[in-house]
Amino acid sequence: MRSLSIAATGMLAQQLNVEVISNNIANINTTGYKRQRAEFHDLLYQDLLRPGTTSSDTGTVVPSGIQIGLGVKPAATYRITEQGNLVITDNNLDLAINGKGYFSVELPSGETGYTRSGALGRSPEGDLVTANGYLVQPGITIPDDAISVTINAQGDVLVAIDGQLTSSNVGQIQLANFPNEAGLQAIGGNLFLETPGSGTSTLAAPGSPGFGTIQQGALETSNVNVVAEITNLITAQRAYEMNSRVIQASDEMMQAAAQLR
Amino acid sequence: MENSLIVALTRQSVLARQMDAISNNLANLNTSGFKSESMIFKEQVESTGKNQVVSLVHDVAYFRDMTEGPLTNTNNPLDLAIRGDGYFAVETDEGQRYTRHGVFQLNSQSQLITSQGHPLLGAGGAPITVPPNANSIIVARDGTVSADALEIGRIEVFTFENPAALSKIGNSLYEAKGQEPQATRESDVVQGMVEASNVNGIAEMTRMIETVRSYQSAGKLADQEHRRILEAIDALVADA
Repeated sequence: MRSLSIAATGMLAQQLNVEVISNNIANINTTGYKRQRAEFHDLLYQDLLRPGTTSSDTGTVVPSGIQIGLGVKPAATYRITEQGNLVITDNNLDLAINGKGYFSVELPSGETGYTRSGALGRSPEGDLVTANGYLVQPGITIPDDAISVTINAQGDVLVAIDGQLTSSNVGQIQLANFPNEAGLQAIGGNLFLETPGSGTSTLAAPGSPGFGTIQQGALETSNVNVVAEITNLITAQRAYEMNSRVIQASDEMMQAAAQLR
Repeated sequence: MENSLIVALTRQSVLARQMDAISNNLANLNTSGFKSESMIFKEQVESTGKNQVVSLVHDVAYFRDMTEGPLTNTNNPLDLAIRGDGYFAVETDEGQRYTRHGVFQLNSQSQLITSQGHPLLGAGGAPITVPPNANSIIVARDGTVSADALEIGRIEVFTFENPAALSKIGNSLYEAKGQEPQATRESDVVQGMVEASNVNGIAEMTRMIETVRSYQSAGKLADQEHRRILEAIDALVADA
């Protein structure tokens, strides 16, 4: 019975679907998280009677033939890079990107990681670091005697120092952009790595054509839509149940065949 | 002759195939652009001697339900659905293939590709390339693609004289099998949506129950026939 294994592919696919949905729901409050979607493709087909086969000497052809599909397979789990909402936190080192782009950070391995989670902080040396303590690229150091930090939409970091009339510019945050954002490899910790699929990064100042701007004192929420996720979860669960019924039914048919004598 | 046994056997073998079709439909309940299929049976009348015929059942073809699946919103600018007839053309290593699975991505050369990496073909047969760092990609209803208000190409939708004769090759792709694709402007391309599978779960479940019960009753028929023959043999032996 092919139907047993076909239904098994269906159950596996729906299980993956539920896993993707549950990860979205689990990350509903993760800063800068982009929701994922599981996509499926039909598996290969077995031609029992090829469409277009000649069915007589006079040249008549079979219009559609018999092709038995062998189930389903996951095609991709792709990220939907829609902008999340910005929430005001009033923390002057919380940065949200309004538009396209990623902050680049130096990972402990020496590689460059990319993130949209702009909950930054200062290292003991005064360097701008992510919540994990990884250095933001290019390195920006905020002097110890700074009394306030202002980051404008173009990413210029301006610090006011006690006793000085004008604030001084200590650096500019750069954003990285990719030909195909969806091709970035997620490595957890809100971080992504460049892959051949994403293409190489281009760096530019925030606000350049094609790049987003920086919003200080705000964070980008995840773009997960709970209602959509729950409805997807319901359809995935029902599909899973239906496929399990197919297994039961195929079993009954095999039982009927076995009792034939 | 054992005709009734053969009748029951033909019934059971086509039902087993029908079950394969139903399980494939249900497995693809969530596959975008999937079209459900069912089998067409035919009565085949065989002569078994003088003035005697027996009717057997035979599966002749697959029937593909071409109705449009519901369009579901994904808000992803690269998810495209076709409202109306037609297929997107994609370039594979084996030549042009057609699909209604409109989930596209960009590759590292900024070309629109399917999740398998096959480039989507625009009018003129060239892949559609988006300029790097484009802020927004807009696909109009007629398939015109613009990046930041600059027109960069048009996605062509193709129809076929006999869409049922397209051969499914898996991965949501169809092969033309000698039919000439015709570009159409009748169908709309809808951005941010994907066409869900048109499989109706409830209808498939009822059909599945029917299939299982028919299979069981065909089995009963064979079993009863077997008993009848045994009894006949017993009676004949007792008489001797």
